[in-house]
Amino acid sequence: MPKLLDHVLNSCFWALAVKEIRQILRNKQLLFLLVFPPTIQLLIYGFALAPDVEMLRLSVLDYANSQTSRELVSALTENRLFIVNGYTFSETDLTQQVRQGDVTAGLIIPPNFERRLNQEQTAEVQVLIDGVDANTAGIASGYLSQILSQFNRRLSPEATPPLVNPEATFFYNPGLISSWFFVPGVIGLVLTLISSLVSSSAVVREKDTGTLEQLLMTPAEDWEILLAKLVPLFLLLMGDVVLALGVSKLVFDVPFRGNMIIFFLVSALYICVGISIGILLATISKSQQQVVLTSFFINLPLIQTSGAIAPVESMPLFFRYAAVLNPLQHYVAIARGFLLKGVGVAELWQHVLALALFAVILMGISIKKFRSQLN
Amino acid sequence: MKRIIAQAVKELSQFRRDRLTVALAFVLPLLTLLIFGYAIRLEAKNIPIAVQDFSNTPLSRRYTERLFATNQFQAAPLLGGSAQSVLDRGRARAAIVIPPDFADCIQRQEPSAVQVAIDATDVNNARVTKSYIEATTRFFLRISGLQSVPQRLQARIRIWFNPGRQESLYIVPGTCAVVLWIYPSLLAALAMVREKEQGTIVQVYASSLSALELILGKALAFLVVGLSEAVVIITVSVVLFQLRFAGDPTPFLLGTPIYILAAVMFGLMLGTKAANQTAAVQGVALVGFLTTLLLSGFIYPVSNIPFPLSLISNVIPARYYILIIRDAFVRGTGWTGVWFSLTMIVVLGSVLFNVARRSLSRMQVSD
Repeated sequence: MPKLLDHVLNSCFWALAVKEIRQILRNKQLLFLLVFPPTIQLLIYGFALAPDVEMLRLSVLDYANSQTSRELVSALTENRLFIVNGYTFSETDLTQQVRQGDVTAGLIIPPNFERRLNQEQTAEVQVLIDGVDANTAGIASGYLSQILSQFNRRLSPEATPPLVNPEATFFYNPGLISSWFFVPGVIGLVLTLISSLVSSSAVVREKDTGTLEQLLMTPAEDWEILLAKLVPLFLLLMGDVVLALGVSKLVFDVPFRGNMIIFFLVSALYICVGISIGILLATISKSQQQVVLTSFFINLPLIQTSGAIAPVESMPLFFRYAAVLNPLQHYVAIARGFLLKGVGVAELWQHVLALALFAVILMGISIKKFRSQLN
Repeated sequence: MKRIIAQAVKELSQFRRDRLTVALAFVLPLLTLLIFGYAIRLEAKNIPIAVQDFSNTPLSRRYTERLFATNQFQAAPLLGGSAQSVLDRGRARAAIVIPPDFADCIQRQEPSAVQVAIDATDVNNARVTKSYIEATTRFFLRISGLQSVPQRLQARIRIWFNPGRQESLYIVPGTCAVVLWIYPSLLAALAMVREKEQGTIVQVYASSLSALELILGKALAFLVVGLSEAVVIITVSVVLFQLRFAGDPTPFLLGTPIYILAAVMFGLMLGTKAANQTAAVQGVALVGFLTTLLLSGFIYPVSNIPFPLSLISNVIPARYYILIIRDAFVRGTGWTGVWFSLTMIVVLGSVLFNVARRSLSRMQVSD
């Protein structure tokens, strides 16, 4: 046992690690890369992605101009789902506004509206919806039917109340704050981008400048060289996890409901995945420029099919199955679980297991590739 | 003029010689188009829902069947757990608990409360799930003859431009705008910074070529590259995603070269500022992706962007080009709808051009 300890302490690893740390501290660009882009990305993703469909602009053409028609308009606007953009007096104006996208919806109340209602007949209103944004259009038409059915109930007070009442409760994010959804996803996105970039450039730089050969001539073993390179980077990237969690707490007030220590352990797994991807990229590329360009091929699909921005369930079948092979998808699910749901490994074990497998397999492949390149 | 064209020809032959870059210039845009075009779907479909039916009567089973009759919901197994644990494990996005007295209550004409627990981590989906469940419930009541409210008021809802609400018609034109900004600017930035890195820019300074001619020559070359990318991308969109011109295509045909030129200017500007190729790529990737994806109205409407960021979105050319390309392929209003957007792209493009020219001539003096 003491012999092993002696071996570890006398290893070239320490000297090399000190050299790497000095190099990193001198490299302003690297430190900048570790701090600035992640913060900016978190801020912009968190603030700019706002999927809330409310305050939809509505243009009204009220031919009836009666009490009920005005009540209908106020029923549409009372929840701020729609806001009246303006009243028009001609159908051409209204259709023009919808056609040009000035308003999301146009409501036409016919002149015989009040009369038909008084005669106990069905009155019909027309709604034109701008369908260029298919998602918003769908939600808007859903809101409209919902509000109209409530309005119908109001028109017939003698009717019985609805017999089935779905009482919805929102879990984990009762205030429906959209940044709470995006921020954990973006933490995963940021770690993916930064860890693959930083590790690949650390390896490629030595290749580019030719110092890799010098390192090889030292008595250090190749695993010591690689480990000394990666451990400081790993620690810095763990610092990025702290940074990202700090931004999410301080700026977006996203809760952290799970176990912090376990979350850091799982994040460490994910960083290993990111670092391995970086090393793989670096071993297959000849120059730094090739690394950054080929990283597009990996990172773009990884991020877009991870559910960080658009939920995985809405994707076509192929992508839903492919998502199982996407380490980021697992990490995002874990991050949402720890931050918002307050669950732990017991509930998320499948994702944690998948992540561990990815970490082991990718680490193995990348180290093997790197060593074969060294020899 | 002759010197500009000579510079452009030189740039293109240099571009052609680098196989990797040529491949990337056409493969990356295609890859992006396919992934964005197929994978980004905002509308919630196939939401997994677990139902805990304590009533277990024909009526409650009919209600459950009704919920899964459309493609909005998919049945998720409850696996003996409670509603909360299903949500905790992420097996379902919502859990519906039908009370034991469900059928009895309804028979007595008394309202029965059905508990719906919704996982609100995904806010958008949560809201949509809630309103789907409510709408399905109303529909269930009506078709089973339980609803006594007369339909005195009916809405005839018409969705214009995209009556089938195909999401690809929204996503794909936006993706074209993103792709045609990122990749031409990336290539231009790389070309500019390579000249600096390899020191060949000193030779250019020593020649009689002015900064203006250098920029215009490079811009012309990458405009050609960008336009060929545009042809590929648009052709694929037409074939795979059924994009068709909805109206007058001239604003689009005129706007696309101007937009690509603005993208190239943006790339050249970053190229003059960046220290090395990695920094240039990082700059384009970070600034380009963040602004065109998030501040342009590509995913969610521009009007949703909150105040300080909304100011930035006003100077993002992609925001205006998205309006033009969506108008060409979906809306179809032609010039009346988009003349302002085109003007803005011209204005922003010339600003970028001027910044690039200035910083290049400053470099020239200092050397």
